[in-house]
Amino acid sequence: MKHYSETLYDSYGQSFLVDKLYFENKTEHQHLVIFENAMFGRVMALDGVIQTTQADEFIYHEMLTHVPLFSHGAAKRVLIIGGGDGGILREVCKHKSVEHVIQVEIDAKVVEMCKKYLPTHSAGAYDDPRATVVIADGSAFVRESKESFDVIISDSTDPIGPAEVLFTGDFYSHCKKRLNPGGILVTQNGVAFMQRDEVVNTFKRLSAVFDYNTFYSAAVPTYIGGIMTFAWASDNSNAHKIPITILEERYKSAGISTQYYNPAIHQASFVLPQYLLNSIGER
Amino acid sequence: MERVTVKPYGEGKLYRELAATHGTPLLILDCEAVTCQYRLLSQSLPGVELCYAIKSQPHPVVINILYQLGAGFDIATSGEFELLRRQHIEPRSTIHTHPIKRDRDISEALRFGCTTFVIDNSLELEKFVNYRHRVGILVRVSFPNPNSPVDLSRKFGCLPGDVDHLIRKAVSLGIHVKGLSFHAGSQSPGPENHVYAITACREIIERHNREGGKLLSILDIGGGFPVSYADSTGDLVRDIDAFCAPIRDALGKFPGNFRIIAEPGRFLSAPTMTAVSKIMGKAYRGGESWYYLDDGLYGSYSGQLYDHATYPITIYSDHPERERATIAGPTCDSIDVIAENIELPPLSIGDLIIGEQMGAYTSASATDFNLFERAKIVPINQKKQ
Repeated sequence: MKHYSETLYDSYGQSFLVDKLYFENKTEHQHLVIFENAMFGRVMALDGVIQTTQADEFIYHEMLTHVPLFSHGAAKRVLIIGGGDGGILREVCKHKSVEHVIQVEIDAKVVEMCKKYLPTHSAGAYDDPRATVVIADGSAFVRESKESFDVIISDSTDPIGPAEVLFTGDFYSHCKKRLNPGGILVTQNGVAFMQRDEVVNTFKRLSAVFDYNTFYSAAVPTYIGGIMTFAWASDNSNAHKIPITILEERYKSAGISTQYYNPAIHQASFVLPQYLLNSIGER
Repeated sequence: MERVTVKPYGEGKLYRELAATHGTPLLILDCEAVTCQYRLLSQSLPGVELCYAIKSQPHPVVINILYQLGAGFDIATSGEFELLRRQHIEPRSTIHTHPIKRDRDISEALRFGCTTFVIDNSLELEKFVNYRHRVGILVRVSFPNPNSPVDLSRKFGCLPGDVDHLIRKAVSLGIHVKGLSFHAGSQSPGPENHVYAITACREIIERHNREGGKLLSILDIGGGFPVSYADSTGDLVRDIDAFCAPIRDALGKFPGNFRIIAEPGRFLSAPTMTAVSKIMGKAYRGGESWYYLDDGLYGSYSGQLYDHATYPITIYSDHPERERATIAGPTCDSIDVIAENIELPPLSIGDLIIGEQMGAYTSASATDFNLFERAKIVPINQKKQ
């Protein structure tokens, strides 16, 4: 393989020169490719869609983790759905307040190959005594589990393939049952400009389940087409409006060093462009 | 072309050696012929992207040679995608051409990386609403070809007059229609229907593009490029360049950056394989010799039934006499007769019967009936990688 072309869209797409191919094969669930690229370092793709790269993964993982955890302020129990590369687990484990984190990933091969070829993503987090990894279908886990969590993070692929069930009203309502009072659900929700339907569908489905839901955003270079949206849902309708002084205090006392996240960007990330607000019929 | 050709015994040495080495029945795959066919068609259709219809002969060696030469692939099922995946084929070079699909057929194709799909009615169009940001659609138009032995416009394709309506519907659903496709009929005896369809599609496309909105930018002219079988259609066609000349002229009227795709299957695969079968029994009935081969209509010769093909047969014998004969396949079914009322030199048990032009729609549609083993495919003239 000399180059890798993402096949997310028919008439537009990104292409990478492949300096070295580490892995290319169909796992039990999806087609997994890991390769080296001069600009982005190690790149991982599933079913033709870029999932993460060494160079820009920090933006995604910090924002999908620290925004809900610092908003919550006292999260002890965290559930990660998906996240097979280990990046979310790494960021969650940086929070000393967290006592137990369960990661439910459907594809054992993704975890295995990412430990091997993307070791800086998990950075040893799989060995953290607070971490439990379950290889299972995330939607079945939230349906059947009796455990409860302060924050649930859905770090999934797009809703074609194994992750389809992670974008359903059923999944969201089971997540809600697993959340403690004041708990927060955040989910990867695609690039809004390119995948407008995902934003609209998720907004509708979450609205039917939670007292309050919205999106926040960050631009991740290899999720092409502009800002990536993260869906946010909670029965605490103020959880996303924590005053900056409190966020700064929490950030400082956590002692976590970040490259993208800071309290100001945390607050600003909930400010959405008008096209997105128009799509979801807000304001 | 004659049904049976008798050649000097000495010239059949290669087949006798291959039969001795590999046993029979065999299908000998000549890798050089794959390259030759691809180059012939590329030269006859310059600027046309050739997407090999792998249903005609889904052998990995054929697929790999064509991929190395720059071919794309015309795919109809998830099974065919899995075959390409195992060969590490870049998915951008594939198009899904089955007009009728289940939801999972669409999602599996997308997960493989194919984003081009074909539809011919509004119910099929509606199936793409959930995938509308990811796909580009071709509308298949029907141009019936009464002269083709395999008319592919009966089962699929919309009427030319329905195209506008389908595109309007697609626009209202937010689905991108990027072009048109047609199939002028397999093993076409002449290029007239191709030319007619190209011209009709160009008129639809030009009219549409004048009206504004998203432009149609692709025409998929299907397949139908003929090869020589032992029947009248085969006799009509010897020169693919002459066959394609009027097609080239018709395509020349499109603007330079307009994409033209073709879906050749038979033309690329049929001449690449030769069947080598052995006479396993002989009888004298009804005043003629019956020869029972170890391959037949339920095996490599299945295309005689499904594909309406009559394969040229070659016998290597120096015997001067000719006698009336019938060649039959090995199964217990009386329909399993390959050729009757033919003139053959006297043959013996263990002699070889050679079937020519047997790469397309042969092993692809063979069955395991009676549990007779299928012909083994043996590649020859393979370039060392």
